[in-house]
Amino acid sequence: MFSEKADKTVNACRFCWMCRHICPVGLATGKESNTPRAKALMISMTEKGIDLKQDMMEDMYECCLCNACAHDCQSGYEPAVFIREARTCAVANGLLPAKAQPVVDRLLADGNLFGESPESKFDALGDSIAGLPETAPVLVYIGETAARRAPRIAKAFLNLLRKAGVEFTVRKDEAPCGAESYDLIGLVSEVQDEAKACAAQIAASGARTVVVLDPACARVMKQEYPVWGCQLQAEVVTATVFVAQLLREGRLHPQKKELGPVTFQDPCRLARDLEETEPAREILRAMGADLREMFLHGQMTKCCGNEILNSHSPHLAERIAKARAADAKRTGVKLLVTACPGCRDILEKGADEALAVEDLFVLLDRCC
Amino acid sequence: MQIQSFMIDMVRSELEDAVGAENVSIRRSDKVAHCIDYFWLARLWADRGLEPPMPDFIVSPGSTEEVSKVLVIANYYKIPVFPWGGGAGSQGGALAVCGGIMLDMKRMDKVLEIDEQSRTITAQCGIVFQQLEWAANERGYSLMHYPSSLTCSTVGGFLAHNGIGVLSTKYGKIDDQCLNVEMVIPNGQVLRSAPVPKHSSGPDLKHIFIGSEGTLGVMTKATFKLFEMPEVRRFHAYLFQDIASGIAAARDMLQKFKPSIIRLYDEAETVSIIKKILGVEKQGAFMNLALEGEDEVVAIEERKMREICAKYHAMDLGSDYGEKWWDSRIKFFYPDYALDFPKMFGTMDTVATYKDIEKVYWAMKHAVEDHFEGVRFIAHFSHWYEWGCMCYDRFIMDQPPKDPEEALRLHNQIWNAGVRAAIANGGAVNDHHGVGMKLGRLMKEQYGPGMVVFEGLKKALDPNGIMNPYKLGI
Repeated sequence: MFSEKADKTVNACRFCWMCRHICPVGLATGKESNTPRAKALMISMTEKGIDLKQDMMEDMYECCLCNACAHDCQSGYEPAVFIREARTCAVANGLLPAKAQPVVDRLLADGNLFGESPESKFDALGDSIAGLPETAPVLVYIGETAARRAPRIAKAFLNLLRKAGVEFTVRKDEAPCGAESYDLIGLVSEVQDEAKACAAQIAASGARTVVVLDPACARVMKQEYPVWGCQLQAEVVTATVFVAQLLREGRLHPQKKELGPVTFQDPCRLARDLEETEPAREILRAMGADLREMFLHGQMTKCCGNEILNSHSPHLAERIAKARAADAKRTGVKLLVTACPGCRDILEKGADEALAVEDLFVLLDRCC
Repeated sequence: MQIQSFMIDMVRSELEDAVGAENVSIRRSDKVAHCIDYFWLARLWADRGLEPPMPDFIVSPGSTEEVSKVLVIANYYKIPVFPWGGGAGSQGGALAVCGGIMLDMKRMDKVLEIDEQSRTITAQCGIVFQQLEWAANERGYSLMHYPSSLTCSTVGGFLAHNGIGVLSTKYGKIDDQCLNVEMVIPNGQVLRSAPVPKHSSGPDLKHIFIGSEGTLGVMTKATFKLFEMPEVRRFHAYLFQDIASGIAAARDMLQKFKPSIIRLYDEAETVSIIKKILGVEKQGAFMNLALEGEDEVVAIEERKMREICAKYHAMDLGSDYGEKWWDSRIKFFYPDYALDFPKMFGTMDTVATYKDIEKVYWAMKHAVEDHFEGVRFIAHFSHWYEWGCMCYDRFIMDQPPKDPEEALRLHNQIWNAGVRAAIANGGAVNDHHGVGMKLGRLMKEQYGPGMVVFEGLKKALDPNGIMNPYKLGI
């Protein structure tokens, strides 16, 4: 039922309590089942014949896959490995929780979480992608969440590239990269097919560099594609790294605006999985931001909920976002900045009139 | 005391009314999540695919008032209540051994007040201790309670069994660090100890609540000391000729100053540590120390420490070992480093005066190693006081019986032998892991007629015997 790696991880985690303090879901709900230990114990006991599959699968979907537990683990285990495989098992055995079933159905039908047609992906971007060349040295990969739920972030980012004189293009028929499907249902053939189609499209563009706006997409392209046999010839670069480089090269000239004290939410994929924490701070410094760090920042960042969790458990995602917004407020700031379309979307749900949430590239675009 | 099935829905609806429907669960996976703690026997059940005892309800209160309502319901129906914090205890103290209500306290996770003027912090007891420590750290303070289970357990869990952290020699055990406690008893009343721990207003209620392991009521709120972060924390290591000279040196230090850490290892552990440091095998007793606080003060303490270690002819092994140990001190509790199946193992920590502590160590070692084939016994001494210290004894059996019932019997025989040897030579049933289900039977051997005090408290506060039955020997 589970891979050797997942089984080994289950055996390690089932009697280990060490990472419960860092799980954003467990901290928000206080539920014992929202710990890697409990999830591993459930799988272990199920495999030994104690039946609790239907209940257990609901618990497997109460996880952000933010890898805080893996980052904390001094033995190097990654609970996300068995949680993703449990999700695959749920799909394969008709055990998907009722809350996740419609989301999975939408994803498999349309390639996105929102039940929107593939053709409508860039409807909200309008003129910002009009007139782009067929090919260019730089291909910008926008991603489903930015295109459909945070188009102003995508527009701001493309504006910045224009201001910096970057020769770029965007595929108007941009294919889903597989990041959302992988998190929602694990590594099934449909996910690999999605990834292969996306990789083929990138290869066909002839671009030397793919700049990826959404850290979740960047992670899967950089870390999973090679494992899945999707070799990209183009170099994959995150949007934050790319823009920080433009600033260093003097191709963008931000005016230092009075932003007041701000804090920064490191997106989990960017900070923990891709180990990129400094480029976003470079960009903030370039705008003259008075950065006040949250206690848990950088690779220790706490997940704010995410689009996948939000798609099937919006109330839970909101509780997690509120907890993170509370962390931000304790720094004394009124502006919380992030660099991920998904984080921006969810954090809005957690914030209130005392805390504004804004995207890094939107702020920079205003300053340039 | 298993609840009859026809009553399940009736009780459930009352519990839902008390804490909200979303905070009462009868889901099987929630029951499984709460049926195994760190106790070796519970883990054995899970490992062998045996169905462990499970609670009937998982109830998660969000306030003291909700705890009170739940206990009133349970008391009326005479349903057992098992308080659960992190479920990371090693003594089976949180297991729902006879059905009933598993009271998961983790929704009660609020930091209620940080009083910088008095240097105190107050929180609900369901907060994971690391979260509380981080809340203090945000303001530049620390609770200085650093057990290896810091990230695993809640405030209530630590108070329930009267836990201890690695810096205890300087900063105290949790009952020294805690100023006051709020506890709800089965009739629903909320009891509060005096706001401060030092007074002459009768015996301190706090000392009745702390260490009661959920057998009298449910702790819901507590206040702790805050400490400023030390300017320096410096490590030193010494090799003593034997355990006796190491113990004597530590005692002499405690008369003059308080190191934050003193860890003295027995010969079996020393040999492997020394080999790592010096690359050769060498007999003796290895000591790892830390001194901390203001730089100038620590410098004076270091001078005294060197004088005392020289008096006992200890070899100075520098600071590298201690610094590395500090950085990786909890690594030993992660998978692949911690003891795990198929081994059988247990930590028989005890505490005694300086006069008795080495005698206790040897008596326990002989009781275990001489009578149980294939069982090793190792120990170190840490958590030091002016009058004595703790001995952290561990037994390890590499190939225990495969049959779970046989393993259970042998496990209990080893524990009986080790703890009885401790009691007979001036030690206590346990130092800082608590009693739980594992050692309850030995409490009467420790206290004899003194058990009447515990039994009287139990009868007065929990006349229906609903609170955490079969734990603490009462």
